[in-house]
Amino acid sequence: MEAALKAIAAPRRRQILTLVRDGELTAGEIASHFDVTRPAISQHLNVLKEAGLVNERRNGTRRLYRARPEGLAELKNFLEEFWDVRLQALKREAEKEERRKHGRNH
Amino acid sequence: MDATTESTTVERTISIAATPQTVWEFFVDPEKLVRWMGTNAELDANPGGIYRNEVIPGHIARGEFVELDPPHRLVFTFGWEKSGEDAPAVGPGASTIEVDLTAEGEGTSLRFLHRDLPNVEAAASHAQGWDHYLARLEIAGAGGDPGEDPWLTQEM
Repeated sequence: MEAALKAIAAPRRRQILTLVRDGELTAGEIASHFDVTRPAISQHLNVLKEAGLVNERRNGTRRLYRARPEGLAELKNFLEEFWDVRLQALKREAEKEERRKHGRNH
Repeated sequence: MDATTESTTVERTISIAATPQTVWEFFVDPEKLVRWMGTNAELDANPGGIYRNEVIPGHIARGEFVELDPPHRLVFTFGWEKSGEDAPAVGPGASTIEVDLTAEGEGTSLRFLHRDLPNVEAAASHAQGWDHYLARLEIAGAGGDPGEDPWLTQEM
């Protein structure tokens, strides 16, 4: 989870994820979208792969990359958990406030 | 779960043992807002008014109020100001939060909807920098200390 959060903290890696979201691409095809070196792209792909956010598939001598839906789902879960915790805190505080209001009225 | 395409949405409905008016105040009164989220809020609860809240030290959420029908319905935009070297994937005001409050006996049914997150990668960038807080989040999620926001006391 932490690896996934670190992986998507870099804008370039988010852009790469978007590129490989709907289909497989080679590292070269990915690199052609950016003004950076091929090794830099390979390094980003390694980070994404280790974080479980992309899959690598070999086809002959080529390596193809594609976003891994399960990895992205984990991140979505994180966001949902964030709001769950916040909303529970809201519930606690609003109920405390309501009790305080009633206490004053009595 | 299809997390790879289309926009991402978080939707929740919870019951609160407090009147809609009481719950409403926790969204539009900065002093009450920070009791459940953030540390330092600036709110102008009028259409077009600013919504700004330092949700996590150094991470500032910003948007504006769109629709206010107290104490029933509230819509505001929500995104992140740039922090550090990484530009946020969800910029200020880029996503939308809708809150609907319905009286339910003596309490309130609250429907919360966070929508227009461009896709899950962008949604995930909301979590940018939040990894430090994962442990705290889990503690809070398990019950925590009522009323106390662990992030309030967290030093960056």
